[in-house]
Amino acid sequence: MAKKFIDKSRRNDRLAELLIRIGGIMVIISVVWILVMISRVALPLFYPPSAKMTATVQLPAALPAGKILAIGAEEGQQGAFVLDESGSFHFFKASDGSVAASIKTPAVPSGAARVVSAEYTGKSAYNLLWDNGAISSVAVAFASVKDAEGKVTLAQDVSSQDDLSFPPSGGVLQSSARRIEGKGAVRIDRLAGDHLRVTHQLVEKDLLENEKRTNTSTEIADPLPGRLTALTVDSKGHYLYAGTDNGWLLRWDVSEPGQVRLLDTVQASEERRAVTSLALVLGDMSVAVGDAKGTLSTWFPVTLAGTGEDKRLTRIHRLRPNHGTVSVIIPSPRDKTLFSGDGTEIHVDHMTSERNLLTIKPGAAMVQTALSPKGNTLTVLDSNRTMTVWKMDIPHPEISFGTLFTKVWYEGYDRPEYSWQSSAANDDFEPKMSLVPLVFGTIKATLCAMLFAVPLALLAALYTSQFMSPKLKGRVKPVVEIMAAIPSVVIGFLAGLWLAPLIDKSILTVFLTVVIVPVMLLVTIFFWKRIRTASPLQRITRGHEFVAMIPVVLIGIYCAYLLNGVAETTLFAGDFKQWLYSSLGVRYDQRNSIIIAIALGFAVIPIIFTIAEDAISNVPRNLTAASLALGASRWQTAWRVVLPSALPGVFSAVMIGFGRAIGETMIVLMATGNTPIMSWSLFNGLRSLSANIAVEIPEAPLDGSLYRVLFLSAVLLFVFTFIINTVAEALRQRFRKKYGRY
Amino acid sequence: MKRFWKTGEPYVLATGAALAIVLVMTLTLVITVMSNGLGYFWPRELVRFEMKDGSFALGQITQHEKNPVSGLRRLQLKVANRDVLGQDFRWIEEKDIASRSLPADAVLLERREHGNYFGFLKGVTAEGVTLTGATPQEQLHQALKLVAAKLDDTRAIKKQMSGLNHTAEQLRLKLLKLEYRGKEKNAAAIAALTADREKALAEFTSLNEKSSATLAGINLITAQFSDVSGGGKDIALTEIVALQSPNSMSFFAKCGAYLERVRELLLDDPRESNTEGGLFPAIFGTIMMVLLMSVFSLPFGVIAAIYLREYARDGWMTRMVRIAVNNLAGVPSIVYGVFGLGFFVYGLGGSIDSLFFPERLPTPTFGTGGILWSSLTLALLTVPVVIVATEESLASIPKGIREGSLALGATKFQTLTKILLPMATPGIMTGLILSMARAAGEVAPLMIVGVVKLAPTLPFDMNFPFFHMDRKFMHLGFHIYDVGFQSPNVEAAKPMVYVTTMLLLAIVIVASSVAIYLRNRMRGKYTTSTF
Amino acid sequence: MAQAQEQNTNSPILTVSDLNLHYGEAQALKGINLDMARHQVTAFIGPSGCGKSTLLRCFNRMNDLVESARIGGSIRFNGEEVNNPATDVIALRRSIGMVFQQSNPFPKSIYENIVYGLRIAGVNDKATLDEAVERSLQSAAIWNEVKDRLNDSALGLSGGQAQRICIARAIAVNPEIILMDEPCSALDPISTLKIEELIEELKSKYTIVIVTHNMQQAARVSDVTAFFYLGELIEVGGTRKIFTNPEKKQTEDYITGRFG
Repeated sequence: MAKKFIDKSRRNDRLAELLIRIGGIMVIISVVWILVMISRVALPLFYPPSAKMTATVQLPAALPAGKILAIGAEEGQQGAFVLDESGSFHFFKASDGSVAASIKTPAVPSGAARVVSAEYTGKSAYNLLWDNGAISSVAVAFASVKDAEGKVTLAQDVSSQDDLSFPPSGGVLQSSARRIEGKGAVRIDRLAGDHLRVTHQLVEKDLLENEKRTNTSTEIADPLPGRLTALTVDSKGHYLYAGTDNGWLLRWDVSEPGQVRLLDTVQASEERRAVTSLALVLGDMSVAVGDAKGTLSTWFPVTLAGTGEDKRLTRIHRLRPNHGTVSVIIPSPRDKTLFSGDGTEIHVDHMTSERNLLTIKPGAAMVQTALSPKGNTLTVLDSNRTMTVWKMDIPHPEISFGTLFTKVWYEGYDRPEYSWQSSAANDDFEPKMSLVPLVFGTIKATLCAMLFAVPLALLAALYTSQFMSPKLKGRVKPVVEIMAAIPSVVIGFLAGLWLAPLIDKSILTVFLTVVIVPVMLLVTIFFWKRIRTASPLQRITRGHEFVAMIPVVLIGIYCAYLLNGVAETTLFAGDFKQWLYSSLGVRYDQRNSIIIAIALGFAVIPIIFTIAEDAISNVPRNLTAASLALGASRWQTAWRVVLPSALPGVFSAVMIGFGRAIGETMIVLMATGNTPIMSWSLFNGLRSLSANIAVEIPEAPLDGSLYRVLFLSAVLLFVFTFIINTVAEALRQRFRKKYGRY
Repeated sequence: MKRFWKTGEPYVLATGAALAIVLVMTLTLVITVMSNGLGYFWPRELVRFEMKDGSFALGQITQHEKNPVSGLRRLQLKVANRDVLGQDFRWIEEKDIASRSLPADAVLLERREHGNYFGFLKGVTAEGVTLTGATPQEQLHQALKLVAAKLDDTRAIKKQMSGLNHTAEQLRLKLLKLEYRGKEKNAAAIAALTADREKALAEFTSLNEKSSATLAGINLITAQFSDVSGGGKDIALTEIVALQSPNSMSFFAKCGAYLERVRELLLDDPRESNTEGGLFPAIFGTIMMVLLMSVFSLPFGVIAAIYLREYARDGWMTRMVRIAVNNLAGVPSIVYGVFGLGFFVYGLGGSIDSLFFPERLPTPTFGTGGILWSSLTLALLTVPVVIVATEESLASIPKGIREGSLALGATKFQTLTKILLPMATPGIMTGLILSMARAAGEVAPLMIVGVVKLAPTLPFDMNFPFFHMDRKFMHLGFHIYDVGFQSPNVEAAKPMVYVTTMLLLAIVIVASSVAIYLRNRMRGKYTTSTF
Repeated sequence: MAQAQEQNTNSPILTVSDLNLHYGEAQALKGINLDMARHQVTAFIGPSGCGKSTLLRCFNRMNDLVESARIGGSIRFNGEEVNNPATDVIALRRSIGMVFQQSNPFPKSIYENIVYGLRIAGVNDKATLDEAVERSLQSAAIWNEVKDRLNDSALGLSGGQAQRICIARAIAVNPEIILMDEPCSALDPISTLKIEELIEELKSKYTIVIVTHNMQQAARVSDVTAFFYLGELIEVGGTRKIFTNPEKKQTEDYITGRFG
């Protein structure tokens, strides 16, 4: 015979077996791969941040020997600069310390010789306080370019910013100055003897565009509770904060020229330790307070419960303490991260998550510390005149287990709360990424849906498998299967745009239906025997009873609809929603949990029905036959014999329905208002994990915190449904084995 | 009576009622969609109301209801003329109505912008053409024909222009590639291509001018209308999509108009941010995505099922895999979307871009959502459906058939291809159809990996390589969500959403019914009943 | 092969020695020794679960399909070891055909059912196939019943006809041995009679091994009868002798219907 052909088919067989095995295993791997993949995206949320020392350089010998007032490094970590007392910026390479340029501050105020102090005001700008009390503001532009051969060239410039300059003024020890948008500027001076003076400089322009500056000075008259040890102003020049040597924290409103109002005097430190450092966290809402023993905390004004008073400064977050006196606090210009130093090491902490992100230790005692405008390059000058530059990689400082799953006291809130609000219009917004409201929403939606679906689906399945005539069963089952195929977007659309307005108009119909339909059924059942004798119903035989129930249900719903108006007028003074709000304080949302229960319930009914029906039908017929033969009625047989045997299968049906409801996206997205609130009220909406992903992920920047948190919620969904489905599947397999089918 | 209760017969009736409720709900859904969807295209009468205060209203009655505040009857009227009245709908209290009539000369204009216009034709102004018609109606029909002919001309030009545009774009990409590979090295080629491109662009510009000139010419042909309150309106004929006078149409004319609207729905592009016009791109996108998905999910699903049923040893591994596959069917679809985004779009797509299209970066080619990634994501989502159906049908083939073939000296593979697969085909088809129905209705993952509300181009056209896997596409399900929930004027968009829903529902129900029929037929075929 | 057949006309076609077979822990066959002569009908009898079907399925290595089966000992077919892993199973199964308890026609036409074995071996010549169909259908004594409807589905045939189609299908590839695993157990008496007559005819061309529950059947059709009990071969000998004068008490008890 054709030996060659047989050899060929044998070869084919081996090849095919190999390919099929590979293909099969590939599909299986892909299942695991999905979980691995989404977890891999979510995991970096919890990676520890890192800092890399990119350069240490001895200050160039060519620099004048005096005090260094400010330092800095550019974003590429290739160059650094220092500011000396003469007001000169010296730029040098971080690799070898060779000086690239020295630039004298332009526009030195007349009569000034020496810079007393420099205050960093963000965006590479410094306020210089001169020895005659004048203030000038300069901005540094500094960048490095690496050419093809790897040679680094530095580009630098120093420019003056005239709008933030003040004329000389006597006796100033320390000073802060801020721009006031569209008005001018404000300076706060500390004078000898702990006196504070606020000076507003208003700028007016006449018709010829000539500037006229008027200065209004006010001295703060409030007596201080202790000696002044720290001082700071917010970036808009609205609030002045001060700390004293005995632990008091004071806050003044300095926004109005000529007016200063003391808002707060609070004890900020246990054991009355000196407040040694103050700084405003990005966004100007929270103030970070460091004390003499290294304690670091943040404060913002909160309305106290029960009082109609003004807001009072309250301690919100306690960050990890430093070892010694907190000498410097630098807020990150990008987020709510704080850099605090005690002279020997620098702590990096995030305010919201209260995470200690990094601890950076320079070689010797710190003299000056600076952060680059993007907040990722830290520069420290130590007492040996050595400058060290670190590049930090802190990908997701605001995420911790705490911020995801516990209550957090966010800025502007009166108490710690679970909250989800991932983004806002402004950059200094504090992202609120608590998954709790979303998990809550998911569970609420699922429970509402299950409450609606489980009784209906299980009873219907029991009827279909036990009492219905086989011929009808062959017709009804496909109807339910087609019901299962209805796309969720269709259900969601009808729920959101048809059912929700309908129920909105006559909300009481829903409650009346719940009462009236069962009553109608009871009445029908009560008179069933007599009704059966009526001529058109005589033909309804066993196995067709549900057909007679359809009109009963319809009439019941119609009655409820008719009674809606009457009930509303008699029980709720004509307006249920108004009554709800005034007597229960519950707001009514048009897209609420009742809609969800019906819509999501509608989606899971066929799933539960099909699996439960399958399970009940699989109970061997001989069991039923034995029971019937003993004289039990069909209900007794179904209830006492069939149902207990099918219980694992029925339970698994409910579980699988549960799993489906948890993950359903479109229905929840369309039938709720997607408000992430935590309220059990049936009249409020919700936001589920899955809908949240659909809403937020198109806006989430790749590899950002939000992106990864959304992947994390996908992992949660996956794991949650996986566990539920596995348990259900295991139950079902065991159940099937028991009765030996399949 | 007592016995009746004792035997539990009432409970049977209660379970029957539960089934009745489920069926009533299903029917309500289908009937609601049908009644709202089917009626949308029927040319409804334009009713003219004279109000007691002397004002007038003209429109189509959309619903009657009791005013929730006053308790009096009122009706909702679609008055159209959005550009004049600001709103498409208004409520009219029945007590305010003095009289109502059906003016025979009332016309309904479907316009390219601002929705419909209800009013009365007054005259036609046509510069440069002479219209022979005696009445304004005749003149208008004549002018419309003329404009349509001219528009056909410009359409041909537009087609040429889009070809040129494509050529220029291809040249631009080629240039980018050459420049990326080295400007000096390829200087000659770059110069040649640049010249070609400029030529194409110049031609494009001249064609554009030509078509603009033609359009400018016909834009001068306008018709004058007045609304029910007497306000006049000049409308360019190019703005008019269709013209009806529903009050004077015969039943058959209405049927004709209805069919014309159905044709438009199935074959035309959408207008007015998807709330008017056709669904063609969405239908096309859905079908192409589903077919593309089947290309991936069918072979892999079938191979995995064959592996599980015919090749894998029946150990813990196989059991785990079965559980995994069943689980995969239960994983929320949005999770697949997230996976598709992370793995396909940013992972695979990003790698393809940096390997093959580095010159186009940072503009992504495959590194953004597209029809390929959508199909792959949905293939993953529906593969369990195919696996389960195929396995079930392979399992239903009696063992004796396999043994019979092997005992004749057939290899396993021969048995598989010659006996088992042909026998399992109905089952596989069932799985395939079910998976297609699921994919057609699935929206959540697509929102993340490539569906858009309005795609400028179809993912298939006559330009090489014909199938553009990187393009974004439109989808019926997403259309429902987008038009129904994201459009600025939801009330006006509702009818369109109902129509889209009806179409999607019809597709899914027909597909599922076929699948269920096939499966039920197959079930009875090889398995002998246990009783 | 034909040459080998010539040489060994008188030697047994199948030789089983010391055959043991385990399904997992359970031993299904225990030390079987048995020879089968050419052109004879050998019947395996014994109560259910005695291992007779298992032994039959060892001959064409159908037990390969059972994962838990382990085989020890030797089966020689024309002097070649069947259990040798290097043995070509496909060639073996082509030489040793098999007919199953439940008739298993493929869901194809009658014609395609018969030529299946040829087609999978690469024979596609129409004339050869036609000839094979007629020859095997005639050998299986069903030609007259189906010759006018060769293109009808084989699934529409009655049980007896389907079983004879299966026999014809086995004959079509020209095997040397035909194994029959209770071929009549699902058939009515008339169909059974026809199959029995068929076996009588086939004997001249093929060696037949038949497993049967029905002792009358064994007595009617077989030349040699082997009695199995609990996985052991109790007694083997000429059919007449076994049924009239068995050596072992167990055999006698079984044949006279005291158990089984």
